[in-house]
Amino acid sequence: MYNQILVLFLSFLILAFVVWIFWPEKGLYAFIKRGKRNSKKILVEDALKHIYDCESKNLTCSLNSIAGNLSISADAAANLIAKLHKMDLIEHGTDNVVLSSFGRSYALRVIRVHRLFERYLADETSVHEKDWHIIAEDKEHLLTDLQVNELAAQLSNPMIDPHGDPIPSASGEIMEVPGIPLNSLTPGEFAIITHIEDEPGEIYKQLVAENLYRGKQIRMLESNKERIKFIANDEECILAPVFASNITVKKIEKHEEIREEFKRLSSLKIGEKGIVAGISRKCRGQQRRRLMDFGVVPGTEVRVEMESFGRDPVAYLIRGATVALRKSQSELIYVKEYVKEEELN
Amino acid sequence: MSGIEINKKESLLAAANNMRWEIGENFHDTLMESIYADAAVIAKKSVLKKGKKEYTGWEQKLDKIVTSRIFGLPLMFVMLAVVFWLTIEGANVPSAMLASLLLDDVHPLLKEFSAYIGLAWWLDGVLIDGAYLAMAWVVSVMLPPMAIFFPMFTLLEDFGYLPRVAFNMDNLFKRAGAHGKQALTMSMGFGCNAAGVIATRIIDSPRERLIAIITNNFALCNGRWPTQILIASIFIGAAVPAHIAGVVSAGAVVGIAVFGIFLSLVVSWGLSKTVLKGEASTFSLELPPYRPPRILQTLYTSLIDRTIFVLWRALVFAVPAGIVIWLVGNVSFEGLSIAEIFVNWSDPFAIFIGLNGVIMLAYIIAIPANEIVIPTILMLTVMTAGIEGAGAGAGVMFELESASATQDILTAGGWTLLTGINLMIFSLLHNPCSTTLFTIYKETKSMKWTIVSALLPIVMGFVLCFFIAQVYRIIIG
Repeated sequence: MYNQILVLFLSFLILAFVVWIFWPEKGLYAFIKRGKRNSKKILVEDALKHIYDCESKNLTCSLNSIAGNLSISADAAANLIAKLHKMDLIEHGTDNVVLSSFGRSYALRVIRVHRLFERYLADETSVHEKDWHIIAEDKEHLLTDLQVNELAAQLSNPMIDPHGDPIPSASGEIMEVPGIPLNSLTPGEFAIITHIEDEPGEIYKQLVAENLYRGKQIRMLESNKERIKFIANDEECILAPVFASNITVKKIEKHEEIREEFKRLSSLKIGEKGIVAGISRKCRGQQRRRLMDFGVVPGTEVRVEMESFGRDPVAYLIRGATVALRKSQSELIYVKEYVKEEELN
Repeated sequence: MSGIEINKKESLLAAANNMRWEIGENFHDTLMESIYADAAVIAKKSVLKKGKKEYTGWEQKLDKIVTSRIFGLPLMFVMLAVVFWLTIEGANVPSAMLASLLLDDVHPLLKEFSAYIGLAWWLDGVLIDGAYLAMAWVVSVMLPPMAIFFPMFTLLEDFGYLPRVAFNMDNLFKRAGAHGKQALTMSMGFGCNAAGVIATRIIDSPRERLIAIITNNFALCNGRWPTQILIASIFIGAAVPAHIAGVVSAGAVVGIAVFGIFLSLVVSWGLSKTVLKGEASTFSLELPPYRPPRILQTLYTSLIDRTIFVLWRALVFAVPAGIVIWLVGNVSFEGLSIAEIFVNWSDPFAIFIGLNGVIMLAYIIAIPANEIVIPTILMLTVMTAGIEGAGAGAGVMFELESASATQDILTAGGWTLLTGINLMIFSLLHNPCSTTLFTIYKETKSMKWTIVSALLPIVMGFVLCFFIAQVYRIIIG
C-alpha cells in the first residue's frame, strides 16, 4: 500500500505546478511564449519604429538611443545598425541614423499595423485601455499584409488610432494631426484632448488612471513650471509638466460644448429626470452603438425608474422603454436640466 | 487602365480622404442623433396617444417589492422552489404511466412480434432491446418534467417577473464577469442544459453569452436529480442514523446543486479573467412592463420550441446509443464482452479516483441523456459482477422498484460510501450530454468552445473525485 498522505500532498504539489505553468501572463507557458518572440525580425522592426519616431520629432537618432530604446547592449545595437544598413533600410551613420525611403515605408507599415490593432482592441473587444499598447506591440510583428487589410476593411478603414495618432494608409501615407501641447494653453482657454502619447508606458498608465482620454474637453486653470492645473469635465486635475507634455490638445471657442456643468446620469436619484447631453468618448464601439440603439442621444429625456437590490444596475425610462444600465455605463452618459422629484409635482 | 484613369482614381481617393478628415470621427453620432430627431418630429405629427399610460399604481408597487432588499431574494427562491417542486412532483405520475406503457406493454409486444416473424436474435437485440428501449426510456423520463417545467418558466417570463430576477442578480453575476441574465439561463439549465444553452440567446453580449453557455452544465439538470436522490438515499442516508437519514440525504442533494451554482460563478469568473478576457462585452437589459401571460400561446411555444425540440435532439442520439449499449453487452472477444473488457481495463484508474469502471463506461455510452445513466449502471453491474437472478439480460437496461433492491445490486458490485459520494460529484461534474453538446456547437458554431465545454467539467470532476478519494481513504482507511 502507498502512503495516502504523501500521495495527497504530492497531488496538491502537481496541481499547484500545473496552475503555475498555465497562469495567464505570469506563468511558465506565457513566459516561454514571450521569450520566443525576441527574434531578429522584431529587433529590426522595433529599431525602425524608433528611428522613425526620432525623425518625426526632429531628434537625432544614435547608436546609444537605439540601444536604450530596445534595451540591448551597445554591441548588439552596432550589429543591428550594420544589419539594417545591409538590408538598405537606413542611410549609413552611427551618430545620426537616417531611414532610407524603403526603411521609411517599412516603418510606416509596422506603425500602421500597431495603430490599426489598437483601434480594433478599443472598438471591438473589452481589453482594458492600459493593455492596448502592449498587445499591439506584439501583434505588429505577426500580422500579414492580407490580415492587416482585412482588419482595416472590417473597421471601415479608420484614420486615427484610439490615442489620436493618424494611421498610415496602405500605400504608406500619413496625415499630420494638428494640435498643441497641453502645456502651451493659457489659463482660461478651452480645449479638446486630441492625442495622448502612449510611450513611455508608465506615464501613459498614469494618464489613463487620471481618467483622461481623447475627446475629453478641458479648461486650463493654471500653467507653470511646477504644475499644470485644469478642469476636465467636473473634476480638477493636476499634472506635472513632464506628464502634461504627453498630451496634445486642440483649442475650441464654443463654451457650451464644455460638459463641466453637466451631471452624470449615474448621479441622478430615483424619480429624477434629465436630458441627455452626450455620451462620453470613453464609451466606444459596440457599447456605444448599443446605447444609441436604445435612443440615448442628445435631447432624449431619461428618468430614473428603479434600483435593483444591489443598487447596481439601475433602470431608466428611455423613450418609453425601461432599460437597466450598469453604473459603469450610466456614468459615461452626461445629462442636463435634471429636475428633482419635488419640483416635478 | 490608362494613366488618366489612374490619376482620376487617385484624386478621387485623396478627395475622399480629405473629406473624412474634415467631417471628423463624430459623424456617426451626429447621423444617429438627426435620425432620432427626425423620427420624433414625424411621430409627434402622426401618432395619436390614447390617454396617458403612466408607470404608477400596482406595477410600481409590485416592482418595489420585487426589487426590495428584504423581499427580493426570498421571493425569488420561493418562486424557483415552487416551480421545481411542481415539476418533480407533477412529473412522477405521467412518467410512471409512460414507462409502464412503453417499457412494460409495448416492449414485450415488440419482442413477441419479432419472435413471431422470426427475427434473428441479434437483430431483435439491436433494434428492440437496444434502439427502442433507449428511445422509450428517454421519452418516458424526459417528456413529462419538460412539459411541466418549460411552460411554467415561460409563463413567469411572459408575465415580466424573470427580467426582474436578472435585474436583481446582475450585481452578483457582474462580479463573476457575467451577465445578470445568466441567472435565468442557469435556472433554465436546472430544467435542461440544452434548453439553457438555447436560452442564452437572450444575452446579446458575445463574451457573457459564451460564459453562460460554457457554465450552463454546472446547473444540475432534470436528468441528474433522480441519480442524485437515489444515490444520496442509498449511500449518504445509510451512513447516518435512520431518523435523520431523510433530512441528511435531501440536504446532500441540495448541497450538490448549490455547489454547482457556486462552481458556475467561480468558473465564470475564471473564464472572464483568462481565455475570454478580450471578447467584446456590452451590457443591456430591458425590463418589459408587467402584463397578463398569454397562456395558450405560451403552452404552444414552450411545447413546440423547447420540449419537442430538445426531446427530438435527445432521441436522435438515443437510438444509436441504445444500439451501442446493447452491442457492448453482447459482442465478445475470447469469452469477454466489450463492456467487461473496458470495465476491467479502466477499473484501476477509476477505483484510484474513487469511482469504478462501470461508472466510467456508463457515462460514455449513456451520453445521449443523463436519465439513462442509472439503468445502464445497473445493467453493467449485474453483468460484470455476475449477479444471478437480477436484470433483464446482457445489454438490456432496467430499473428496480425499490431503492433497497438497487442498493443490494450496487453493494454486490463493490460500491462503498466513497463510490456514492464521488458518483454524486461526478454526476454534477462531467461532460454535458450529447444533446447539450450538439446544441452548444449549433449556438457557438465553434468546435473549440464545444470541446472546452466538454473537457472543463470532466477534468474538474476527475480532480475533485481524486482529492475526495484521497481524503476519504486517509480518514476512513
